[in-house]
Amino acid sequence: LLLKPSWKQHYSFPWFGMDIGGTLVKLVYFEPVDITAEEEQEEVENLKSIRRYLTSNVAYGKTGVRDVHLELRNLTMCGRTGNLHFIRFPTQAMPRFIQMGRDKNFSSLHTTLCATGGGAYKFENDFRMMADLELLKLDELDCLIRGLLFVDRVGFNGHPECYYFQNPSDTQSCVKKPCTLDNPFPMLLVNIGSGVSILTVYSENNYKRVTGTSLGGGTFLGLCCLLTGCETFEEALEMASKGDSTNVDKLVKDIYGGDYERFGLQGSAVASSFGHMMSKEKRDSISKEDLARATLVTITNNIGSIARMCAVNEKIERVVFVGNFLRINTVSTKLLAYAMDYWSKGQLRALFLEHEGYFGAVGALMELLKTTEDP
Amino acid sequence: MAFNGHQRDDDDIIDENETPSKQPRSDKEMPVHFRNEPNSESATTAGRATSDRRTSQSATRHRHDSVKKTRPPFPWFGMDIGGTLVKLVYFEPKDITAEEEQEEVENLKSIRRYLTSNTAYGKTGIRDVHLELQDLTLCGRKGSLHFIRFPTHDLPAFLQMGRDKHFSSLHTTLCATGGGAYKFESDFRLMADLELHKLDELDCLIRGVLYLDSVMSSGPSECYYFENPADPDHCVQKPCTLENPYPLLLVNIGSGVSILAVYSENNYKRVTGTSLGGGTFLGLCCLLTGCSTFEEALEMASQGESTRVDKLVRDIYGGDYERFGLPGWAVASSFGNMMSKEKRESVSKEDLARATLVTITNNIGSITRMCALNENIETVLFVGNFLRVNTLSMKLLAYAMDYWSKGQLKALFLRHEGYFGAVGALLELLHPS
Repeated sequence: LLLKPSWKQHYSFPWFGMDIGGTLVKLVYFEPVDITAEEEQEEVENLKSIRRYLTSNVAYGKTGVRDVHLELRNLTMCGRTGNLHFIRFPTQAMPRFIQMGRDKNFSSLHTTLCATGGGAYKFENDFRMMADLELLKLDELDCLIRGLLFVDRVGFNGHPECYYFQNPSDTQSCVKKPCTLDNPFPMLLVNIGSGVSILTVYSENNYKRVTGTSLGGGTFLGLCCLLTGCETFEEALEMASKGDSTNVDKLVKDIYGGDYERFGLQGSAVASSFGHMMSKEKRDSISKEDLARATLVTITNNIGSIARMCAVNEKIERVVFVGNFLRINTVSTKLLAYAMDYWSKGQLRALFLEHEGYFGAVGALMELLKTTEDP
Repeated sequence: MAFNGHQRDDDDIIDENETPSKQPRSDKEMPVHFRNEPNSESATTAGRATSDRRTSQSATRHRHDSVKKTRPPFPWFGMDIGGTLVKLVYFEPKDITAEEEQEEVENLKSIRRYLTSNTAYGKTGIRDVHLELQDLTLCGRKGSLHFIRFPTHDLPAFLQMGRDKHFSSLHTTLCATGGGAYKFESDFRLMADLELHKLDELDCLIRGVLYLDSVMSSGPSECYYFENPADPDHCVQKPCTLENPYPLLLVNIGSGVSILAVYSENNYKRVTGTSLGGGTFLGLCCLLTGCSTFEEALEMASQGESTRVDKLVRDIYGGDYERFGLPGWAVASSFGNMMSKEKRESVSKEDLARATLVTITNNIGSITRMCALNENIETVLFVGNFLRVNTLSMKLLAYAMDYWSKGQLKALFLRHEGYFGAVGALLELLHPS
């Protein structure tokens, strides 16, 4: 579907898509690389300044980060060629961001700012009052699906966007394998952000939110900060990578002395998460790393369990996990892959996507452009 | 699916020697609506004791004699060795004749006296006196059923006591269920010369539930529910029964959680479970607040405000997430505010305890609801010691079931909470299947 050039007038630069979540703001920015000399001449100063600021930095302020490794190069969108950049910063820094928008006179550019996520509603007034910006509010799940399908279609700089784990139950031979979402429907989509939403997607425009759980990425981070004194997601994951959750969790074998054979529960399965922690002796013997690991494992397995129940209920075999809880979080992705495979006796397969938590923002950008990629 | 399909064929004997079952529901009790499957299996009443067949006098006397022969010797115990607690039920006969008392061996008498004249044992054993069932008839004997618990951690002390009191010389079978019946089997053998008759915990649970609900007692109803769970001023406990309960979703919340779909007394399956159970609540609370016991944790939780700790939908949306029917007060991310140092410093231990309780409880509720939907079951029965003295969680579960199902699901509770496995084990001793 190619848009007529005359429509381009409506889609003046800059092109942004924004997803204001409970913990993080995800921003995608399309940097045109096909700017003609003439266009450059006409380009207003603040637009140029924005473009330069965003593309010549990989960090912004104290907490903004551009995920360079995720950049989609030489993408064609709406007849323009450019690079798609992926930027994130904590939602807590939103006032600072809006301030910047004001300082750079963003409103004078008269562009529509397409925004999704709860914050598009929560901060609507702030954008208006503080930066004279009108948000075009979009539903986060609509955007998620649209963005996901788009990125999977265009691919990741010639590589597949989607992957899974082969032999997830075997730590030695567990290996990441690429795949695509050809004939993706129906799919179970599990979006793990601060909280979790689980959707059954029948087609691009036909989906339902099956359920959700409030035990998500925010829970992992919140509990870790409380239990270990860490302050960031990266610190929490670092600790978790070094810990042993079985010192913290009560396993089936701790209760049965072995397997609970009657109902197929292996001795190594967790019977009671954090179950050892009611004993002072055990509390004194574990490390912060063990606690971080147990928190990660508990939250991840709970999501896996709920996802599995949904997949069975909805009779779907493919479960796609997205969301920034999985960012740089191989422990959780492998655990989810394993859990889906193991508890379903190989019936279910877990799939993952490289751009994890950015699909909502991409979907918002697409709404701005209302286009698909050029062939 | 655990289908043992075994139909009891000695129902007749038991009726006349058991505490009579309840009469059909009176008008005072809530009309609980249960789905009635067309198939006859689930239409039969639950459990042996609920049958109210009448027989002639002579037949009664004949059966009474044969029961005497098959009756096991005292003491009568049922034991459930769980991940956190050991639950013990003890039948104290009150109809001991002078002759019987004369013949009674010393250590049996001593055990009986020790158990019934104390309400606390050692440092951590407790007899829940308020749960005692008096004037119970079991196997032709009249007496009281006592409910005792102590931490599994203290089992060695219990075994020591069994040895000191020469329990093994009484040559009784010790019926035990729970994981610990397997885990500690050799300890019982080696330390106290006792052979355990091991039973499956879920078989015993169901058996115990159906029995206790069916028993007619002058005390309060075993089964109850909450009316107006969403309204703290008008939320009130109401009695009910489990008559024609099938199919039933049984949620057992102990250290961990098991969820069973029960189609009839002998036909059930374990649908799923979750490792985020009572043990998680207690473990996390101890870590987060420095408390040491379940009671302390609940006390703190009762005084805290979880919304300071949790990130709600309105914290993210500024209001409701209308599109998908999520009200602003719903929790979007449990403990989600705790990633902020500022907020961490502003919450109290009580808030953390409350958030832990709410998080674990709501997660169980959510998973339960999914199971009920998938299994097409409308009645959910919550049991297990996580709910002991924990009205907060019960009300939360009652509310959650009602709210998220738009009134389709009903949450029921039982007074004897975590003791059903032990009762089931006792029943196996008296009426082996």
